[in-house]
Amino acid sequence: MNANPVSSANPVSKVLVLDNSAEHLPQIRSFCEHNNLVPLKVRRGAEMAVLRTNIDLGGILCSEDYGGTPEQTASIAAEIHAARPELPIILRRNARATLADLPEAVRGSFCAAYVASEMSGLRAVIAEYIFCLLYPNALLRGIAEIGAAVLRTQCSPLTVSMDTPYIVRDRVIFGELFSLIPLESAWCRGYMMLQTEEAPFMRLLSRQRSGDAGVGFRNVNDLLSEITNLIWGGFKNRYMSDDGARLAKQVQVPLIVNHLHKYISFGTENPQLCFRFNLFDPVAGGAVTMYARFVFNLSWAPEQFREIQQGASGLVDSGALELF
Amino acid sequence: MAQILVVDDSSTVRDEVSAFLRNAGLNVATAVDGKDGLSKLQADPAIRLVVCDVNMPNMDGLTMVEKIRGELNNKAVNLIMLTTESSPNMKERGKAAGVKGWIVKPFNGPAVLEAFRKLAS
Repeated sequence: MNANPVSSANPVSKVLVLDNSAEHLPQIRSFCEHNNLVPLKVRRGAEMAVLRTNIDLGGILCSEDYGGTPEQTASIAAEIHAARPELPIILRRNARATLADLPEAVRGSFCAAYVASEMSGLRAVIAEYIFCLLYPNALLRGIAEIGAAVLRTQCSPLTVSMDTPYIVRDRVIFGELFSLIPLESAWCRGYMMLQTEEAPFMRLLSRQRSGDAGVGFRNVNDLLSEITNLIWGGFKNRYMSDDGARLAKQVQVPLIVNHLHKYISFGTENPQLCFRFNLFDPVAGGAVTMYARFVFNLSWAPEQFREIQQGASGLVDSGALELF
Repeated sequence: MAQILVVDDSSTVRDEVSAFLRNAGLNVATAVDGKDGLSKLQADPAIRLVVCDVNMPNMDGLTMVEKIRGELNNKAVNLIMLTTESSPNMKERGKAAGVKGWIVKPFNGPAVLEAFRKLAS
């Protein structure tokens, strides 16, 4: 994924490619390029290691020949499915695009099948399992702009860049530190979640405070909290009218956090919209990665999405005092 | 004895705003939410300006300023909101409660210092 100062392109999604076919790999690569997928080819035997280091995936493309024999392929798929059941594993078959002829125990690891001669079948599968929610371009652009602007002001003098927004089905938490804040409007209900690693964030804060050795985790919490608040405020002011909260139904579902497995569930199968911000210290050379994930688990009606139009008189620069 | 009371649940904001104002020679007290803000204001009659967030636990900022004008019957203190909120309805509610000004975060000290000095004097 490209790193841009501010990107607003259509979202992409990272997929692992478990396919060794010299004949079909160029076709898969081309398909990915034309369908907003970022393929990560995996060497045989490295599946679980790659899975551990990529916790923001959208799915897995797997060939039935990948393991050498159908049994070995099934065994690899079962291991991946057990570790990350939220990731759809899409099987490339040699003869027919079906899972029906597989033994029942094997079938459960895969969500769908396709054949190389009919790639439109794969397109339909990724539309169903990965790109199933449509995100307005104005929303993607706006979140990118708001996030980058907030990080620039709060994490000065670091430079801020971001990757193309992407769709994630993984529910693994990045880093040790995350914040959650609800998003409530007439057109969306869910959460924004920021995730980052404590140690680099703490180093950044120490440098900001001229090497203050007294910086502790509570200071880091406070800064993340304020960043969350500012991004949330920007989002709310731009996309949520006052009537949003009144219109929103008060349905809630429990959120589950499992610290041992660094796992969070919002009680939905919906994929998440993810923005990855990269903060870099041009002087000291340190870097901080921050993910902003948007999870619309309670309601999503993009057809009602609109940017709030403010009259020229209502527009006041942030930081300026508007006297009444 | 403080001239300005900064009310915000975020210690990052409290530290940033109060440090800036102290460096500019102003006396500053801080409070962590609306409830705390009310009691600090009652305890210190020298406070001339309250700079207050909107979204806070225990008691939000708009409720706090309404109580300052209503329950405390304090019409003298100047009230400025410093918040991520910019909705017209919120501003209207603030105006109706006697809020003098509205700042959308982030805080930009140099842009507001002179106004703060006047309102705190």
